[in-house]
Amino acid sequence: MFDDPRDELSPAEQEAFDALPREQQPPPSLEQRTVALLRAHGHLATPITAAPSRHRWGGMHWSAPWIAGAAAAALAVFASGVAVGQYVGTRNAALVIDANARGSAAELAGHVQRAGSLYVAALASLSQLPDSGSHVARDSARIVALRVLGEAAQEIALLAPDDPLAVAVLRGLNQRSRDQVPTVPSRSVVWY
Amino acid sequence: MRGASEAVALDSDRALAEQVLAGDEPAFRQLYRRHTPRLFLVVLRLVAGIEEDAEDVVQETWLKAVGRLEGFRWEAAFGSWLTAIGINVARETLRRRGRRREVDLPEDHESLRTSGPAPLAALDPVDLERAIRALPEGYRTVLLLHDVEGYRHEEIAERLGVTAGTSKSQLFHARRALRAALGDERKDQVHV
Repeated sequence: MFDDPRDELSPAEQEAFDALPREQQPPPSLEQRTVALLRAHGHLATPITAAPSRHRWGGMHWSAPWIAGAAAAALAVFASGVAVGQYVGTRNAALVIDANARGSAAELAGHVQRAGSLYVAALASLSQLPDSGSHVARDSARIVALRVLGEAAQEIALLAPDDPLAVAVLRGLNQRSRDQVPTVPSRSVVWY
Repeated sequence: MRGASEAVALDSDRALAEQVLAGDEPAFRQLYRRHTPRLFLVVLRLVAGIEEDAEDVVQETWLKAVGRLEGFRWEAAFGSWLTAIGINVARETLRRRGRRREVDLPEDHESLRTSGPAPLAALDPVDLERAIRALPEGYRTVLLLHDVEGYRHEEIAERLGVTAGTSKSQLFHARRALRAALGDERKDQVHV
């Protein structure tokens, strides 16, 4: 019954439908929002270089050389921070190790718990940093965290050789180091 | 058979898509500018002219399209494939927001057939657009896909997950509702 020719469009109606526009420009901001969405989902590369033209933000001129200089200065400050942090960390770790050597089993277990909590809390804080955070810092922290994980698994395996989780972690890390092709020169990372 | 200009566009879309897969933002922007005006109007009509919804749908459509781009086999035109995704996203959006109104077939189809308004001699595109947007969602979707976008009932059925018979009946009622609405509007204009 729905194939009745009387229900077909009249020529005038057909003409009216044909005359409807087929395109409409969306708001210009939609393009930028869509690009940002795709970037956030990792489909598009996030730009890391400044535009060559001079920008004016907050009353200041930002040229490419200025931004490059600022980035270099920021890296220098960051590197200094890392060095100081490593020095302090090494000293603190040395104190902890010294205390460990002299502590009872209960005290040592307490140290493990506190150090483990600090380790996890630091990693959690790092992962909650905005994406714009330094990639260098994140990479360094990741490498340090993995080495700590490996060393801890090794110690757990010595403590309890049958612990399947420690063995699995060690196997995974060994496999990873075998598979990994070094892309950057090896660097010395002091983790405590 | 595909025309020469369509083939060039297809090749060009494909070249851009390959660059997009490599994370190339300018290529994405080019693809976006080429296809979004059509996509935007299709989904704007599907969501009853609510621009905010249409913008959300366009964004989500591009996100899905880029995510699935690697699997696209280029057997259809990129624009058609994108529109198909847009139609699904628009329907999901309507469903999620609770605006979907299921339209049941009236018990007495014949009464509608004999008592419905006669086809209109001349239609103003603005009135037609407004009347389409005011249709219940089920009617509107089928009418837009069939009478505006030129899909066949079998294609609509496949796209919407209904039978071709349902698509035909929805179109039948959609056209009658549209004629009634436009007839009333014309009467109102005469009285004013």
